[in-house]
Amino acid sequence: MKRFWLILMMLLSLALISGCGDDAEDVDEPGEATEEAAEETTEEAAPEQAELQELKIGVLSDLSGPTGDVGNPYAEGVMDCIAYLNANGGVGGYEIVAYQEDYAYDVQKALTYYEQFKNKGIVALQGWGTGDTEALMSFVAQDEIPTLSASYSAHLTDPNTAPYNFFVAADYTTQMRAALKYFADNWSGSEAPKLALIYPDHPYGLSPIEGAKAYAEELGFEIVGEVNVELRAMDATTQLTDLMEDSPDYVWIGGTTDSTSVILKDAEKLGFETTFFINIWGNDENLVELAGDAVNGHIGLQATAVYDDDTPGTTVIREITGGEHKMTHYVRGFASMLVMAEGIRIAAEQGEVTGPSLKAALESLRDFDPMGLTPPISYFEDDHRPNLSVNLYELQADGLHFKASQTLERKAEWLGM
Amino acid sequence: MQNKCGQFFTSYRQENRLFKTWFERFWLLVLFVGLILYPLCFDSYVLQLCMINIAIIAAVSLNVLTGACGQISLGQGAFVGVGAYAGVWFVQSGAAMLPEWMFVVFGGPFIPAILCGGLVTALVGMFFGIPSLRLKGIYLAIATLAAQFILEYVFLHWKSVTGGHSGMAVPAPEIFGYTFDTYPRMFYLTLACAVLMVYLATNLMRSKPGRAFVSIRDHHLSAEIVGVNLFWYKLQAFAVSAFMAGVAGGLWAHTARYLTPSPTFGIGLSISYLAMIIIGGLGSVLGAVYGAIFISVLPICLDLLAELVGGFFPELATPIKATKGGVFGLVLMLFLIFEPEGLAHRWRLIKAYWKLYPFAH
Repeated sequence: MKRFWLILMMLLSLALISGCGDDAEDVDEPGEATEEAAEETTEEAAPEQAELQELKIGVLSDLSGPTGDVGNPYAEGVMDCIAYLNANGGVGGYEIVAYQEDYAYDVQKALTYYEQFKNKGIVALQGWGTGDTEALMSFVAQDEIPTLSASYSAHLTDPNTAPYNFFVAADYTTQMRAALKYFADNWSGSEAPKLALIYPDHPYGLSPIEGAKAYAEELGFEIVGEVNVELRAMDATTQLTDLMEDSPDYVWIGGTTDSTSVILKDAEKLGFETTFFINIWGNDENLVELAGDAVNGHIGLQATAVYDDDTPGTTVIREITGGEHKMTHYVRGFASMLVMAEGIRIAAEQGEVTGPSLKAALESLRDFDPMGLTPPISYFEDDHRPNLSVNLYELQADGLHFKASQTLERKAEWLGM
Repeated sequence: MQNKCGQFFTSYRQENRLFKTWFERFWLLVLFVGLILYPLCFDSYVLQLCMINIAIIAAVSLNVLTGACGQISLGQGAFVGVGAYAGVWFVQSGAAMLPEWMFVVFGGPFIPAILCGGLVTALVGMFFGIPSLRLKGIYLAIATLAAQFILEYVFLHWKSVTGGHSGMAVPAPEIFGYTFDTYPRMFYLTLACAVLMVYLATNLMRSKPGRAFVSIRDHHLSAEIVGVNLFWYKLQAFAVSAFMAGVAGGLWAHTARYLTPSPTFGIGLSISYLAMIIIGGLGSVLGAVYGAIFISVLPICLDLLAELVGGFFPELATPIKATKGGVFGLVLMLFLIFEPEGLAHRWRLIKAYWKLYPFAH
């Protein structure tokens, strides 16, 4: 019996350590600051625009959970956009009232907050991660609450399974396909380009692989290697040494900034000469800081502009933030809210703004340009893919530099794949 | 047994009753009336109550295996997952195989699906229980840990059944045309299942297999000498425990309405079930119930505390939320040191205290 307790003690201390690890992610101030800022702005704007009606939306954010490092800037972008819209006369005669909750990437909490939002009478929802968006999928469909999320899984674009889900970036698979198309079009070698893939054995890492591999073969790539590097990996030398033997020309990295920086630094250490292209959550200003010179010349896939780009949207953002540099996630949050606002505006023109009317309004968008922040966005009744475009940014130690934008044809057979 | 002074039994039947006094029966009735009224009167925390019901089933199931039979399992979270996937697969694809009369008897595919989920999990549990004949203690823990990882891998990669990385949506359960599509309705459904499972486990523990389990836990050699077939009863413990875990999984899937592989049914879930039965009291059914409630309510209380403190000292709210994982672990440690027999034991002491009050001896 004594040994039994000993074992239990050991297991529980393990649990304790891992438990601490999960929650010990740093919590940045900006999220809360924005919330306050947004509240202040709405209060200020209210007396001037007394005739504005209130339109309630829910904002589900991860400020203190495991994805807090990217969740904070995204949520800040959403809230700043709401404040900006309200300060500029509201949207279609409505003042947007946002309820923001920090669900710390906990699906159960997300469901609870969603219940609370619903009781408060929200018309639409700005969501966040994959787990909660999928968990809420059938509920938002049942309650008719259009949801814009930051989870770009392809199956969320199929209205047959997710009639009330939208997002503003091309899905993971489409982004990867578009990048492959760009590389194939610009390939000058005499032999077929060689492609290798690095991704975690995790739902998020696996999601684009199947579709992109099929397309790569169609484009004439030779797939020479496929290895797994987990999201929490501390070392990737074994996997990279394996891949180096096949000398691929292009290597896909699917992961987060942490795992990507490990891969890039190990590749530099090993002298791995290739071009890495990195998925949307694996490259941002943080990666440049984490990996330093190791990022030089590699390609990051993005769905929106970055802070220093020259577009009407980023000019507004620079004004709002007073020149304090924000991450790409901030811009994406801002763009997501702009698209929702456009839907609200159209719905308001045609009558009352309700869940179904907002959904119909979003589905009527054709090549909508959210102040140049994303490639043009269109949703269709039977196809919720916003576009089939990806922005390629060249990573340098001083930041992300725009390289090209690649758009694919809207093929019906790719929907949801 | 501490019975009330002056309470006499005139038949074995009376002595074997689950609730012996009118006092107990009355308060149990009050509890259930309260639970049934709660979703009608309040909106908040109904989802948590559903999840507590499910956690109770899972914790009781683990307590049969680990608490009563002494076979440590680190794969309970994955077993819950097996039940969830099997149940949903049954609702979506397997129901067509059923004969017509089953639909009439059970009012739709939901109840057969939950049972099928339980049975499939029981088979899987028995398979992974086979090493228990040779392995004990930490070695068995590692073997069941392997089960955890193998099953997680299967959830992620067996696309045609589990939906792979994109998971799958789950329709709301329907019995005799009545759809359980809101949390209050799901609460009643999960409550009914939890009561049924707790009742089943309680009766199992005080019958032949239950006594065999306890004898195996206490000393396997003696048990074998008095005629307990070790392998058969260990497998039985794995099967019963996995069956109940499977039922919990089926209910989980139908409450959450969407199934994704890790981290939902990951190692963290398995460990939290272990924590539940340790805090509640190993080997006691009621203990598992208390443990499940305690572990589920603790984070909610910490959240409320953070909010409350945040009202007065806004700068303290975030640190309190951040220390939640630590507090959680600390509570477990303290329980192991100061209350090794769990909440069930403490509850017995409290009851004894009031029963004997004011004369403590």
